[in-house]
Amino acid sequence: MLIALNDIVHILYFVMVGFFAIFLIKQFFKREKKRGMVYDIVYAYVIMVFLLRLFYIK
Amino acid sequence: MKIGKIEISKIIIIVLVAILGIMASYEFLELRFYREDVVVSDSFTEEKMLSDWLPSIKNTAVDAPVYIFDSGVPGGSVLICGGIHPYEPATTLAAYVIMNNINVEKGKVFIIPRTNMSAATLGMLGNAYPKFFTIETEWGEKKIRIGDRATNPLHQWPDPFVYVNYPSGQNLAYTDIRNMNRTFPGKEDGSLTERGSYALMELTRKENIDLYIDLHEASLMYPVVSTYVAHQDAQDIAMMASMVLSASEFPMKCEVSPSNLHGLTHREVGDYSDAYAVLMETPEPFIDRVAGRMTEELMTDGIDEFIQTAAENDLIYCNYDINEGITMPSGYVVKGAPMDYRVGRHLSATREVITWMGQFDPAKEVIVTFPGFIDVMDNGSGFYLSDPEEADESKVFKN
Amino acid sequence: MYLQATIVLIAMIATFAISSWKLKSTELSMVVTAIVGALVGGFGFPARLLVEGMFTFFDVGMTFITAAIFINIYSATGAMDAIVRAIVQNFHSKKWIVFILLGGIMLIPGALTGAGSVSIFVVGGMVSTVLGYMGLGKKKVVGFVFMFAVLSAVCPPINLWAMLMCAQANMPYVGFDIPLLAPLLVIGTFTIIFFGWGAKPKDKQEILDQLPEPIEGMNWIRISLPLISLVVLFLMQKYLAFYLPVLGLPLTFIICALISILCSPKRKGIKSWFSTINVTMEQVFPLLATVISVGTLVNIMTATGVRGLIAITFVTLPVVLIYVAALFFLPFAQGSLSYGSAVILGTPIIFLFNSIGVNVTIVAAALSFMFPLGDALPPSRIVGRVTISTVEYEGSYMSFLKAIMIPAAFMGGVALLMLIFANKFSFLVVY
Repeated sequence: MLIALNDIVHILYFVMVGFFAIFLIKQFFKREKKRGMVYDIVYAYVIMVFLLRLFYIK
Repeated sequence: MKIGKIEISKIIIIVLVAILGIMASYEFLELRFYREDVVVSDSFTEEKMLSDWLPSIKNTAVDAPVYIFDSGVPGGSVLICGGIHPYEPATTLAAYVIMNNINVEKGKVFIIPRTNMSAATLGMLGNAYPKFFTIETEWGEKKIRIGDRATNPLHQWPDPFVYVNYPSGQNLAYTDIRNMNRTFPGKEDGSLTERGSYALMELTRKENIDLYIDLHEASLMYPVVSTYVAHQDAQDIAMMASMVLSASEFPMKCEVSPSNLHGLTHREVGDYSDAYAVLMETPEPFIDRVAGRMTEELMTDGIDEFIQTAAENDLIYCNYDINEGITMPSGYVVKGAPMDYRVGRHLSATREVITWMGQFDPAKEVIVTFPGFIDVMDNGSGFYLSDPEEADESKVFKN
Repeated sequence: MYLQATIVLIAMIATFAISSWKLKSTELSMVVTAIVGALVGGFGFPARLLVEGMFTFFDVGMTFITAAIFINIYSATGAMDAIVRAIVQNFHSKKWIVFILLGGIMLIPGALTGAGSVSIFVVGGMVSTVLGYMGLGKKKVVGFVFMFAVLSAVCPPINLWAMLMCAQANMPYVGFDIPLLAPLLVIGTFTIIFFGWGAKPKDKQEILDQLPEPIEGMNWIRISLPLISLVVLFLMQKYLAFYLPVLGLPLTFIICALISILCSPKRKGIKSWFSTINVTMEQVFPLLATVISVGTLVNIMTATGVRGLIAITFVTLPVVLIYVAALFFLPFAQGSLSYGSAVILGTPIIFLFNSIGVNVTIVAAALSFMFPLGDALPPSRIVGRVTISTVEYEGSYMSFLKAIMIPAAFMGGVALLMLIFANKFSFLVVY
């Protein structure tokens, strides 16, 4: 039982990462503040981190 | 300028970052799926998996091969665990050398060269470790992976904000829930790492292991470096072994496991099974946080100027000299703390506790031979690893 | 090795200074600094090390996001305004009681999780609003919130610095409660008096008029259930750990966010909650980017030997100089290495003091009061920045540092006294 619950929590974390990644990707294209290219770069590598985790690479 | 609705600058950024991500991913996956070919000696009888003692870890990342060498002659039994912390790679290499060369005349020997398999699939976060190190052999270079200290978060995630060790209730830092040498005696329905520890305890109990040997490497600034840490029941064995080694081969200290420090093998294996539990540490400069450049050379030659400075300031707990070297009781002069020196220490230290268990408790005698410190110092570790291409197929395993 | 690491260090400092100035982004500057450090250090362009470093504090980033989502959703239900209204109505005339109460509330989330930033996220906004009404200027508010946030991280039961030092030194994490609580009481009292002295609360009616109208249907169950759930989940994860799956902080916050939505007296559509999350993500992004970027910087500092150079330089100072330098080195290490500083500098100090017969529990406790001061220092400035954004402080970062200087120095002074006279305080260690 506890093993299954731990497994479910484990999966939920990947779901959370995917969920947050969607917002980050959206904000990469359209955001209210910090709109310059510098923050485009910052957004891009932060998104990369989320995607590498989501795709089970790192 | 825009392509469709997207600015070109954004597209360029996506492409560049994607290239970075792909380059890094290639290396992450290379380390994750790399397996070494290992050769076993003629004494080998059977390969099992850790999950044979705890089915709930079957097909999980912590399941690990267990190589069994049974003489068929009644005697004691020994379990040798390397790589519970894969970032201490001399432990795995020492296990490979033993597996490749062991001759068991009496009793039974179990060897797990990579005890935390999951932790061997990633690099050490924030510590910039190289992925692999190589050693010279008679038949070419052998590449061996260096892992992390803890289970891969891809396999066990999240961490709690505090890790409460089972069943002692002792509070440990949150990352220790993925540190297999803090999760002993394990929990049957716990986290993946706790179940890994539990499987090792089950193996120990069900196979009536008499001597549990846990191989480690330590920072030179860690007081129990170059030391046996033994459960109080194994104190006499470790003490005699340390005296013999210190007189004949290399300096080796001996400490008794603190009774109120929970989660480690030297405490819990002794408390929760009938086995004598002994942990042993070699000096690994790489682990020291004061060490300089993190390169493969540092992993293999163990020469570091900053640690030399620490040694000159009496901040380390073993002998270390990168200039003149340290003369061992066996006559060898060792500069720094090279891989062969560390592997050799583990080989002789393992042999010595096995011998002394038989002396103190003849019913548990195990008679084995495999290369020791002097052999490895003379010929190098690589000399004792056979070419998997040339070996009998039934003796070659992916590990 | 010394020369090479020193050259890399100089190159990295110069790059960081120039890129911070030119790019106006600390986050990207850290990554650029890491790349330059790797190039100068002869590592080429180490893609793996750069990206691997970004994962070092990934979980911290997840905690920031989820804690911020929880508290923004909770506030959006109107519960936070209700709490502020209640405090003003009941305690308006007793300002010292309000300050003590707010200090105590600030301590709880950090004490239970080991992270001061969690305290700021969860209660910092509410505390700063009330402090404002009680007559504290923005500078004092930002100082109060920051100081109690760092104290909450030090506060037992969970003190991550002490736990990490213990883990490295093979010491059990026991006996720390009083050595941490006693100085905490002294520093907390000083902080309250320092910031609260001379504060004149605004007129009660005026404050109440400024607050948003109470929302229809809001009651104490709706207000307290999400917060109680949070505390209960924290306590369960510590005291019933054997019977629960490992939830981790991020999921704990998400569960409480869902409870907040269920407790909201206003029925809002899913779009509205999504919009709250969207705003939160943008608000928390600079912090997320900071923790992602600082990991890369640390990884390259380590690879090139710069980390080793800094560590060896510190630990080989004579003991007398360690006393003097600790207050400078430890916070700056915290600023760049976060909790890693406890492992890199804390552990050698423990061993050093152990070898000269000093009570190491007191030493570890004392050091754990020094490290968190660095949470306001560059390059990461994590807790400082969380405080500033939560309190919506608009002054310069230097003015924030000035605001906290005296209580921070007091905290450092208490810690230094503990370190110097460690054996005299050993009676505090009770198992």
